[in-house]
Amino acid sequence: MTLSGSRPLIEMRDVRKSFGTYEVLKGISLSVNDGSVVCIIGPSGSGKSTVLRCINGLIPINSGTIRVGDFAVETLKSDKALIPLRHQVSMVFQQYNLFPHRTVMQNLTMAPIQVLGEDPRKVRDRAAALLAKVRLTGKENAYPGELSGGQQQRVAIARALAMEPRVILFDEVTAALDPEMVSEVLGVVRDLARDGMTCVLVTHEMRFAEEVADEVFFTDRGVIVEHGPPATLFKSPSDPRLKDFLDKVL
Amino acid sequence: MNSEFRTFALGIIGVPLCLIGLLAMIYGDRTGATLAFIADRTPMLLTGSPDFSSLQGGFIANIGMSLAAMAIAGALGIILGIGLIAEFWPTRLLSGFVMNVLRNSPWLVVLYAMLYLLPFEMKIFGVWITISPVVKSIAGLSLPVAANIAEIFRGGIEAIPTGQWESARSLGYRRLQILRYIVLPQALPLMIPNLMTIYAMLFIGTSLVVVTGASDVLFVGRTIIETAGSSTASAIYIYILFLFFLFAFPIAILTRWLERRIGTVSP
Ligand SMILES: Nc1ncnc2c1ncn2[C@@H]1O[C@H](COP(=O)(O)OP(=O)(O)OP(=O)(O)O)[C@@H](O)[C@H]1O
Ligand SMILES: [Mg+2]
Repeated sequence: MTLSGSRPLIEMRDVRKSFGTYEVLKGISLSVNDGSVVCIIGPSGSGKSTVLRCINGLIPINSGTIRVGDFAVETLKSDKALIPLRHQVSMVFQQYNLFPHRTVMQNLTMAPIQVLGEDPRKVRDRAAALLAKVRLTGKENAYPGELSGGQQQRVAIARALAMEPRVILFDEVTAALDPEMVSEVLGVVRDLARDGMTCVLVTHEMRFAEEVADEVFFTDRGVIVEHGPPATLFKSPSDPRLKDFLDKVL
Repeated sequence: MNSEFRTFALGIIGVPLCLIGLLAMIYGDRTGATLAFIADRTPMLLTGSPDFSSLQGGFIANIGMSLAAMAIAGALGIILGIGLIAEFWPTRLLSGFVMNVLRNSPWLVVLYAMLYLLPFEMKIFGVWITISPVVKSIAGLSLPVAANIAEIFRGGIEAIPTGQWESARSLGYRRLQILRYIVLPQALPLMIPNLMTIYAMLFIGTSLVVVTGASDVLFVGRTIIETAGSSTASAIYIYILFLFFLFAFPIAILTRWLERRIGTVSP
């Protein structure tokens, strides 16, 4: 425990993952320091989402190790064993995945109450504060279907925060949004990053990655080809595949 | 409710008129006397007693058996349905096998099977329990219905996007909790029209239990015909047809209305 201040919060070592015979991750190693913001970029199908899903144990890995805090993720086999990990690692999805049959407020409070067994009143107070933080005060009793895409995604971020996690995984959270809503969601993510929340972002918003990231990882075909601080990675990429990719997206 | 209301009005007026017309064709100038005869035997057909003094048989028994069978089939169907979507593949395989066997068995065959497989008496926890024809009938009807409900259940659950499962898991929910708190509340409204249709089929299917010796409306009807003479047979059977129609038709209309509502009002 005395070490946890100095060692990274997340450490993946040589992680391999296959779906059937198709190897999606071919030895991924990366680490994320507590309080830092890490972006993962790379072409479609390179395994970015798979990396995130492995970190919170949504999919089991074939070999390698994943450590988050004090948890060895690859040793946690059942959903029950994974609960403490999921308390620490929240995830926000491209398609929001809010629960459509529940109000905004209930979306935020149900997991802390039903999964973590917390006091409903405390959770509701916390949820109200989080809704203010994502600038959605007044929408407590709305249903997700009544909100715009940008608003829904901000609810999803607030829902992730309501678990009081140590790290949040963002999987292309602006990719399904109309252009005019992208900035309101990125603004919320920027605030979180400034507040010192550990964030792992898969994103196609290169300018945003350059602005908020402490470190950027570039994946291609299941391996991390290059990584480093955004200034180096974006301004003077050394790998030809990364150069190619940046030429296309910038 | 507009188009359903029109269908309902047409049916609820038109079908009785047709049946009376049929009676008139068969009985000619004795139609009036036949209607009086039917009215006189109505308590018997509805309750199995000539003066409503007990509710042990007749049409009430059909309703009671259908409700009991539906309740049992619902419970069994949910268990079987959870088996159909289990993560552990042997459970899935076994549930699929049981479901397919039961769903594809003719109801009459299952009823006969219950009649001969279930003993007349059974010792449960040291107490001898008589297994009456009614109990056998309920058991026989609930098995194929349970298989249908399991299929409806599986279909409803698979209609919910996988992103719901994924985000619920990422929040720490476990499989059965996800079903209970997240997936089923969304899937149940989709399942209701199908459940009502299978109930209407089950209700109509209760007419088959006459083979087990349970005193349902057909059984009572046959007794009446035996004592009053075979000339009354057409009248009695037409009347029983009418009773079934009266019960099942509103369910069918309500189902159609719900289907339309659920189809257009997306959550
Ligand atoms: N459950 C699965 N079963 C089979 N193949 C999968 C599964 N999930 C992902 N894959 C495959 O793994 C590869 C990597 O997928 P992944 O979603 O991690 O890519 P990605 O980098 O996030 O791409 P994108 O930018 O399009 O989201 C893809 O080829 C995908 O088809
Ligand atoms: Mg992806």
